[in-house]
Amino acid sequence: MTSTISPTGGTETKAAPPSVPSRIRGALGASGSQFIILVVFLVAIWLVFASLDGRFGTGNNMLTIISVSSVIGLVSLGQALTVISGGFDLSVSGVVPLGGILYAILTNDGWPLLPALLAVIVVGSVAGLVNGIIITRFRINPMIATLGMLSITSGLALTLSNGLQIPFDDIDAGVLAARTFLNVNNHVWLLLVLSVVLFVVLRYTSYGRRIYAVGGNREAARLAGVRVNAITASVYVLCSAFAALAGVVLASQLLTGSGTAGIDSNLQSITAVILGGAALTGGVGGVPGTLIGVLILGVLSNGMAILHVPSFYQTIATGVVLLLAVGLSQLRVLRRRKK
Amino acid sequence: MAAPALSVAAIGKSYGRNRVLDEVSFEVMPGETAALLGENGAGKSTLAKIIAGSIGQDEGELTVAGERVRFANPREALDHGVAFIPQELVYVPRLTVAENICLGRARSRLGFTSPGGILRQARADADALGFDLPLRETMDSIPLVQQQLVEILKAFARQSRVVLLDEPTAALESEDSDHLLGLTAQLAARGVAVVYISHRIDEVFRSCDTVHVLRGGSLVQSQAIAETTPREVISSMLGRPADEVVVPKRQTGPTPNALVVNGWNRAEAPVLDDVSFTVEKGEIVGLYGVRGAGPETIAETLGGLHPGTTGGTEVLGSPIGDLGSPIQAQRAGIAYVPADRKSQGLVLLNSITHALSLPTLSRLTRFGWIRAALERRTASDLAQRTRVRSQSLAQPVGELSGGNQQKVLVGSRLAADAGVLVLHEPTRGVDVGARLEIHRLLRELADQGAAELLVTSDIEEAVILSDRLLIMRQGRIVHEISKPGLGSQSEALQHAGGTQ
Repeated sequence: MTSTISPTGGTETKAAPPSVPSRIRGALGASGSQFIILVVFLVAIWLVFASLDGRFGTGNNMLTIISVSSVIGLVSLGQALTVISGGFDLSVSGVVPLGGILYAILTNDGWPLLPALLAVIVVGSVAGLVNGIIITRFRINPMIATLGMLSITSGLALTLSNGLQIPFDDIDAGVLAARTFLNVNNHVWLLLVLSVVLFVVLRYTSYGRRIYAVGGNREAARLAGVRVNAITASVYVLCSAFAALAGVVLASQLLTGSGTAGIDSNLQSITAVILGGAALTGGVGGVPGTLIGVLILGVLSNGMAILHVPSFYQTIATGVVLLLAVGLSQLRVLRRRKK
Repeated sequence: MAAPALSVAAIGKSYGRNRVLDEVSFEVMPGETAALLGENGAGKSTLAKIIAGSIGQDEGELTVAGERVRFANPREALDHGVAFIPQELVYVPRLTVAENICLGRARSRLGFTSPGGILRQARADADALGFDLPLRETMDSIPLVQQQLVEILKAFARQSRVVLLDEPTAALESEDSDHLLGLTAQLAARGVAVVYISHRIDEVFRSCDTVHVLRGGSLVQSQAIAETTPREVISSMLGRPADEVVVPKRQTGPTPNALVVNGWNRAEAPVLDDVSFTVEKGEIVGLYGVRGAGPETIAETLGGLHPGTTGGTEVLGSPIGDLGSPIQAQRAGIAYVPADRKSQGLVLLNSITHALSLPTLSRLTRFGWIRAALERRTASDLAQRTRVRSQSLAQPVGELSGGNQQKVLVGSRLAADAGVLVLHEPTRGVDVGARLEIHRLLRELADQGAAELLVTSDIEEAVILSDRLLIMRQGRIVHEISKPGLGSQSEALQHAGGTQ
C-alpha cells in the first residue's frame, strides 16, 4: 500500500463506502470466490452424474436429494455455528438418535405432536447446555467435552429403546416428513425457513457478529466486551437443538425411532460445514456455503447409489471430496500469505 | 587514513518502472557503527539485500575493504566478510547453542565432531566478545535476545568485516535491546563495521556513530550522529518540516481528576505495592518501569484483566466497585487499548468496519439488529479521525500494515467516548510515520478532554508524549518527572533501575 504524506501535514484518508463488487462478495460470505468455486463444483458433479445415468437428472430425483439431505442439513446448520465460534460438536451423533427415540416414545405414549416435538428440543438443548458449560467453565476442549456427551446421549438413546427399533403407533406422528406443502415435504420447508432465519441472524444481528468475533479471536472479543462464555455456550445449545430436531425429522421419515439412525451425522455435518468454506480455526463460514456443502454430499451419495456404487466406496469418495476442497482452500490461503 | 570497510557508490535499483534505490552512496569505516534509517518502503531492505548479496544492483559499485565486489549470492558476500543478520533468524532449533555457533566450521576427525571440542571452541568465541550464553541449552529454548547474540557471535567468529543487522530490536523489550546494543558495540570495538537497520531513533542515537537516512529510494541525510538531532532525523525520514514532527504538550492548566487510583495492592505476582496516582482531564500521564515493575499490571487491571487487585478507584468523580472483567471496566468508563494488537486487540478476519464497531456493538443495535447505516457512518467517522489508510472499509484488518492496524485498534476504543483512555504500548511495532500520527491523535484527544494513562516500554515515547511521567520499580511508584522531555530519558531509566 502506498500512501503519501503531504508537506502540509494533512493525510488523505480513503474511506469510501465499499464498492459494489465487494458488497456482492460480502453478501456471499467471508470469501466470495471460494463460494463460486463450490457452486461450480456442485454443478460439475451434477453434470457428471446426469450424463452417466438418465435417472439422475429428473426433477423427482432432485427433490429426493434435497429431501434426504435435509436431516444432515439441519444438523449442519447447528454445526456451522459451533465451527464459526471456533469449536465443533461431535455429540450430534448421539443427540440425533436420542431425539428420534424420544419423539417415538412420547408420541406412542399419547403426547400431542407439538408438545412432544418441543420436549425433544428441550432435552437436546439441555445436552448442548452441558456441553457449553463444560467447555466454557471448565475450559475443556470441545473435542473431549462433546465426545463425552456423544457417549452419554447415544447410550441414553440405546437404553431408552432397549436397543430396539420403536415404530410409530400413529402414522400421523410423521407429519414433518410425510406431509407436503406445494408438493414439497414439510421438513424441506423447515430446513429452508431455518436456513433463512440463521442466515439473517449471522449477518444482520449483533449476536451473529459476536459469534464470528469469538471464533476469529476469542481474547480480542473478550477485551472488546463480548461475553465470550455466554456466546460459546449458546452455540452449543443451538447446535444440539438443531440436532434433536433433525432426529425427529429422521424418525418421521423412517416412521420409526432408532438408536442407530444418524450416528454418522457428526462427521457428515462437519464435512459439509468445512466444504462450505468454514475453517476449524473459527471465524469464517456461513449458511449458504454450508447448504452447498450439504448438497455436494447429497448429490455424491445419491448419484453413486443410482450408479450402484457400493456404499463403502461412497464413504471413500466423501473423504476424497473433503480433502480436495480443504486442500484447495488451503492453497489459496498459502498463496495469499506469500503475496 | 584506512580504507573504508564498506563503500556504497551510486547504487541504483529498479523493479520495472518502480525506482527503489537511486544513486545511494555512503561509507562505513572499520569499527564504525552506522545507522540505516527509513520508513517502510524507503528502500533500506533492498539496499541491505544488495550489500548482503541476495540481489544484484542495476548501477553503482560496492567496495569491501578496498576491493571492488559484485556478489552473485549471499555465500560470496560471506566469503568477503559481509554477514547479514535478518529479522527472522535462521538457526537449527534442536541443536545446542554451542553447536549452532560452530555450525559448518567445527573441526572433525574422521567425519566425527567431538562435543567437547565444539563446546571449547564456542566458549572461546563467546569469551572473546564477552558474551554470556547458555552454550549447552538447545537453541529453541533460549530467549530471542540470546538467539540474536548467537547470530552476532557467528558473524564475529567468521571474522566478518561488515555486519548488517536488520531491525534486531523490533521484537525486544527495552532492557533486552540495551543489552543487545551494548554487546554489538563489542563488535565495533574489534574493528568490525556494523550497519544497523532500525526504526527506533532513540537507540540509534545511543549506539551509532553515523546515520544515513533513506526516503523514497534516495539518501536524504548522511551525517555523524553528534552533528544532528532526533528531530532532524525524523523530519528527514518523513520529509516533513522539523516543527511538525513534535507532539505538543498540554497547554491548559489544572483540571479536575478523571481517574483516581488509591492504594492499589496485589499480594500475588505481578505485585503492586500501595500504588496511588491521578490523571486529570486533558492530561496524559505516563507510567514507566522495567518489565514486571508494575506499569503493565496497572494497565491490565484498568482493562479488567487482573481481578485480584485491591484498592479504591474513581472515574470522573464516582467510585467504581470492581474491575473484575473487561465488561466491568468498560461500564466504569475506561477504554483499554491492549498491548498486543494481534492476540488481544483485533479480530484480524474482521473488516475495518466490523473491527471498529465490535466494542460498541450494543449501541449500534436495536432489538438485536445491527443498524447498518449507523454502523457504517460511525466506522467511517472513526477511520477518518484515526487516519486509517485502506482501500475500503470492507478490507480485512489482517491485510493492513501494522501502523494502520494499530490505528484501527485505537479507533475501536474511541467509539465509547470513555472519559479515561488506557493506552498499553500504543505504538509497538509501528513505523515512525504511523507512530507520529498516533501520538498526535492521542494529544488531540487529550485536548478534547480525555484523560489518558500511557503505559509503554518505549522510553522515548514515554518522555515525549507524557505531561507527567511516573516511574515504577518493584510494584511501587518511586519517582515523578513533572515535565518530561527528550532529556529526561536518563533520569527515568535511572529511577526505573533498568540501566545506570
